[in-house]
Amino acid sequence: MSVTIDARGLLPPEPMERVLEALPTLARGDTLTLLLPREPFPLYAVLTREGFVWQTRLEPDGTYVITMRHA
Amino acid sequence: MSALSFEQAPPASVPLRFFVTAPFFGVAAGLVLSWNWQAVTGSRWAPEAVAVVHLLTVGFMLQVMAGALLQVMPVAVGANVSHPKLVATIVHPCLTLGGALLPLGFLGAGPLALRLAAVLLAIGVFTFVFVAGLALVRSPAMGPTLLVLRLAVVGLAIAAGLGLAVTSVFGFSLALPLGVLIDLHVAWASLGWALMLLMGVAYLVVPMFQLTPSYPVRTGRVLPALLVSALVAWTVAMTASVEWLAWLSTALGIAGVSGFAIVTLRLQSKRRRKVTDSTLWAWRIAMGCLLLAAVSEGVLRVLPTDEPLRARLEYLTGAALFAGAFPTAIAGMLSKIVGFLGWLHLQKVSTQAPTMQQVMPEVRARWHLRVSLVALAFILLATVWPVLAVPGGVLFAVASAGLGWSMALGLRTWRRHLTSQHA
Repeated sequence: MSVTIDARGLLPPEPMERVLEALPTLARGDTLTLLLPREPFPLYAVLTREGFVWQTRLEPDGTYVITMRHA
Repeated sequence: MSALSFEQAPPASVPLRFFVTAPFFGVAAGLVLSWNWQAVTGSRWAPEAVAVVHLLTVGFMLQVMAGALLQVMPVAVGANVSHPKLVATIVHPCLTLGGALLPLGFLGAGPLALRLAAVLLAIGVFTFVFVAGLALVRSPAMGPTLLVLRLAVVGLAIAAGLGLAVTSVFGFSLALPLGVLIDLHVAWASLGWALMLLMGVAYLVVPMFQLTPSYPVRTGRVLPALLVSALVAWTVAMTASVEWLAWLSTALGIAGVSGFAIVTLRLQSKRRRKVTDSTLWAWRIAMGCLLLAAVSEGVLRVLPTDEPLRARLEYLTGAALFAGAFPTAIAGMLSKIVGFLGWLHLQKVSTQAPTMQQVMPEVRARWHLRVSLVALAFILLATVWPVLAVPGGVLFAVASAGLGWSMALGLRTWRRHLTSQHA
């Protein structure tokens, strides 16, 4: 299953809070995708610590697409 | 997984020491402008004008920009500064003392003040350039923000090197081509460092805090490329006396400056967040000032060199940039950054941390913006009626003091909450 959080209309720290709420519900093999207008380095630190891996893609419109799953 | 983690951010004391020092320079700049209004508005070459410009650029802007970069780089582009406390302990006193001695030297304190300022600023700036440059080179970030921040640090190094050469002429009586060095120093410091950094910060904070669409990737790369092309063309034009390159440089520079302002204003008009807060207005005013400076510079390029109007327009360009665009955007962001830092620090130690708004209330930021705007109006109108620089300077000093006071109150709220937690 794939869940997408479009956080481009949310003020900090809400995007981070939404992801932190969603990650514990993520089953193995599922993906969580975050859309953000910046690259979330503080989130990367949390993902590493909690055993997740991610891929980041930059769209031409400046949106960062971060796809996360269990390592 | 409940607590937010910002391990990468340096201790709050690192950026805060720069932020709380900067308003003192803003107060001094306003008072020196007010006291020496005839000299400052009369010629960009007047020592009093040079002193005011450096109180604003080195004293106010460089302080905040250095502190903000140390704070923002790890979060924005994953560029972790090693030993941030040690770096701040070296850079901050050098920028503070050097930033005070440099204008004092121009105001008549003599070559010794300029020599000391040159040494202190060289230590402070090049330490900062080395540390920030190293962190940015190692950054794994993608996208135009990293490119622009790297270019800004290169711009700072070149601007500081040229500034050092200029100061050496006055402080150490070295025989260097002063006019060329000054023109290059002004260009690299304004476009290569200050505007480039403002651009990089805008790419991050305008979409983040104003909820606008992102800067498109291609636009984000074209704008700094225009500025770099303008600076390279200007450097060749000045050193080899190539007139057509000077024209090309001005055209490229105007395209870069006004392009950035127009794109930012357009993005702001498409923002998802309909609340109009002081930060949004600060950015709008800053972008308006950039457009004004671009128009003024364009008119200056076509005016004959013996035209008396030139001195007026040179004052207008400087006022629009150094009393308008940069301090307005910086002050607008400071209230957000200090509020965010307070919240960030307190939520680590408390479950009932005050919000950003409680640390830095919007009502204080609005008052500061109103006073700044009136000050700016007087300072810009002094292009036509120079005596208006007197109330303009006084109000600029009041606005800077207000900014410092607002941050002091924010820090008091912060400290009180910490004390109540430990009680």
